[in-house]
Amino acid sequence: MTDTHTRRGLSIRGAQRRYVKETAALAGADLDLEPGRITALLGPSGSGKSTLLRAIAGLERLDGGEIRLGDTVWAGPGRHLAPECRRVGMVFQDYALFPHLDALANVAFGLKGPDAKSIAMAQLEAAELGHKAKAFPHELSGGEQQRVALARALAPAPAIVLLDEPFSGLDRRLRQELRERTVDTLRRAGATALMVTHDADEAMAVADALALMDQGRVIQTGTPEHVWTHPHSVTAARLLGDIEVIEAFIRAGAADTPLGQIATPDFKNGCTVYVLVRPQAIRLTLAADAPFTVTRRRSAGTHLAFTIENAEGQSFTTHTPVPSTLAVGDRVSVTLDEAFVTVVGA
Amino acid sequence: MTPAARQGGRLPDRATALAILAALVCAAPVFAVAWIAVTGETGDYLAHLARTRLPVYLVNSALVALIAAGGAGLIGTVLGWLVARTEFPGRALFSWVLILPLAVPAYVAAYAWLDLSQAGGPLHAATAGLFPTVRGAWGAGLMFALVLYPYVYLLARDTFTGQSADAYNAARTLGAGPFSAFARTSLPMARPALAAGLALVMMESLADYGTVSYLGAPTLSIGLVRAWSGAGSLVDAARLSLILVAVALIVFGLERAQRSRARSHAASGRHRPAPRFHLSRTQGLAAALACLIPLALGLIVPLARLGWLALNEQPAPGLLPASWHSLTLAAISAVLAAGLGLSTAYALRGRTFIATASARAAGLGYAVPGAVAAVGVIAILSGTQALIDPAWQSVTGEVFPVLLTGGAAALIFAYLSRFAAAAIGPSEAALARVTPALDGAARTLGATRGETVRRVHWPLIAAGVTSAGLLVFVEVLKELPATMILRPFNYDTLAIIAHNYASDERLGEAALPSLLIPLVALLPMIFVARYLSRARSSSGQV
Repeated sequence: MTDTHTRRGLSIRGAQRRYVKETAALAGADLDLEPGRITALLGPSGSGKSTLLRAIAGLERLDGGEIRLGDTVWAGPGRHLAPECRRVGMVFQDYALFPHLDALANVAFGLKGPDAKSIAMAQLEAAELGHKAKAFPHELSGGEQQRVALARALAPAPAIVLLDEPFSGLDRRLRQELRERTVDTLRRAGATALMVTHDADEAMAVADALALMDQGRVIQTGTPEHVWTHPHSVTAARLLGDIEVIEAFIRAGAADTPLGQIATPDFKNGCTVYVLVRPQAIRLTLAADAPFTVTRRRSAGTHLAFTIENAEGQSFTTHTPVPSTLAVGDRVSVTLDEAFVTVVGA
Repeated sequence: MTPAARQGGRLPDRATALAILAALVCAAPVFAVAWIAVTGETGDYLAHLARTRLPVYLVNSALVALIAAGGAGLIGTVLGWLVARTEFPGRALFSWVLILPLAVPAYVAAYAWLDLSQAGGPLHAATAGLFPTVRGAWGAGLMFALVLYPYVYLLARDTFTGQSADAYNAARTLGAGPFSAFARTSLPMARPALAAGLALVMMESLADYGTVSYLGAPTLSIGLVRAWSGAGSLVDAARLSLILVAVALIVFGLERAQRSRARSHAASGRHRPAPRFHLSRTQGLAAALACLIPLALGLIVPLARLGWLALNEQPAPGLLPASWHSLTLAAISAVLAAGLGLSTAYALRGRTFIATASARAAGLGYAVPGAVAAVGVIAILSGTQALIDPAWQSVTGEVFPVLLTGGAAALIFAYLSRFAAAAIGPSEAALARVTPALDGAARTLGATRGETVRRVHWPLIAAGVTSAGLLVFVEVLKELPATMILRPFNYDTLAIIAHNYASDERLGEAALPSLLIPLVALLPMIFVARYLSRARSSSGQV
């Protein structure tokens, strides 16, 4: 089936969408989807992720900007290709299975021709749901419904697969299992996919590429590792997990922070910057007359979270691998692992 | 964040236009009545009426409505709770069969019960005169309670079914017994739904003409029909209509006040449906008996008695054309009402102001008794006539045909004004199952807009829209006062000939037409009852 997929990338330029009396849902979003890769679109709720997804599907009209697949313009000035002509497969947040059709008929909905049933059956069997072909949506478990929804979206061999928070309705264990399953299925189909999520761990676990969205714009793209270690802004950094943000002044080529000096070759002396420190970057060492005191110790499974405080009352959170002998009241000194530290302009 | 409104296109626009039409059809007669009442010349009929009959009309109206509401409230709440929360022999069957008395017009039940209980009747004889004769305000109220309790039952059943068990269980852990826990949690939580049901029962009893006329409890509706057909005064009829509409609006205002508090009554937190209590054998049989009694009194006994009377009488002449008129009027109204209701429901999907306003205005029609709608239609037709006549005459030199003789069309106008709103709610509920995501799924899978409607919408809404239409069919079949006022000369329906014979004390001849109405209504009513009971259990919402 892979060869029927169009190996063309999707490109979005300056996408705008404004609702009456509301702030812009899309305020000039740019995004490129590379063929055969899974991109995760991460952002807080209300950032425009779902609107962008629906605009790609054609369920939403753009007020400005352009969406094109290779040379074909899907949406642009004076042009709006109807959703049924775009060949996108979409997995909806609540799956949107047709309640009056059984699993097989749901998967076959988008197929035409004499072998529609057999193609649909093959998709269901690939999802290990062949035995549920005659079951109606309300007779399926949440996980099974999700798998049917994915099979239905993939059956017509779409050019792009769009997934709108596809695991949000499931409990944690099932979520993880289905996430891996979904990624496997998408890879086997060689699909170009865009998955909306507001869960940073999920985004980093599934995606080849990450796109961060905020206030209707895509604010950063790149591989998950790169975006995590090199966020462009405080917002981008916060989207991907806990982070300490320290405002600092640059003197003699370095930012002066309570946690120590950070070399800042890219910034001029005298300007103000934000130093972004992941909790993992802070290493603690027991020392009798050190500047920090441990004020809180909390177990978080794979690591320990310590809160430390200095004489000025500034406090920071650190993640330290287990085990650790440090206890509340201990005096500690701090070293920073610069791989987890980024400096951005204020 | 993702209303269907943004999908734009022709379908919602056309739907909005039809929703506006529905609103006009439903609301125009009320406004016409108000206009005539305010601008018309003052006669002395109303002043005379106020000194003589009006107090009686008002007292009877209040008595009948309150007795009907009390009886229907009691029956409907108890049966609704039994079916929703307990398990007993025949529960699944009773769940929908209990709705069927709606197929019986109250006046038909009244014919049978007065005949059974009056001096010389079998019930009177069997109880040596101890069984009171069913007549007057209490008799009429009782008849309404017996055939209208399904309104309360339906809403009570669905509310008790949907209620979370948590509030009840919390009350039990806090030391309340089963009965006290029910009275202090489940019942107050169901109050908005019960109030809605009671409002419908009171409205229907206020709108009735046949029952109160036959049992001798003249209400405002009677005064209204007399003002038009006796005194022939449109202005006075319009003024009486306004009083009736005011009473109706008070009833619905109280209901709305209850409902606005519904949000605070809704279960909070995770929804956990309550398991049904298992009743002991004796309790179970008692529950089944409790269901059987209102069913027998409202449906089986009246039909059996009328069937017996009909068997002993030659069929009255004119029965065939009357049946044909009844069926065609009901069918045409049902199809039109279902169409308008569905269009309004589609328009409401767009969540535009104009759609919401139209639905509200159309809903106003449902608060308007049939007789008032008829007076409104007359006002509109004669007003239009007065506008057209001079112009027509000056151009063509001939007299414009009299609009009031439009006949069946005028009747259908009045029926739609009264009942089209009843088709909006069910259509809206059916369409609620079609979430915007289903549209999106169909479209991204290659279905065009039209194909989406045909392959996804229609299979999901067909049963709901059909039962909305059938409900209107049954209502029109039962309708009497508007038909009496508006029907063309010598144009009879089953309800009309039944009423005419019964009023002439010729109950034998009235029996067959009286029986035919519920018999014809029963089949559509079974469809509706089963739909309302199935939709509930499969999708969790009606």
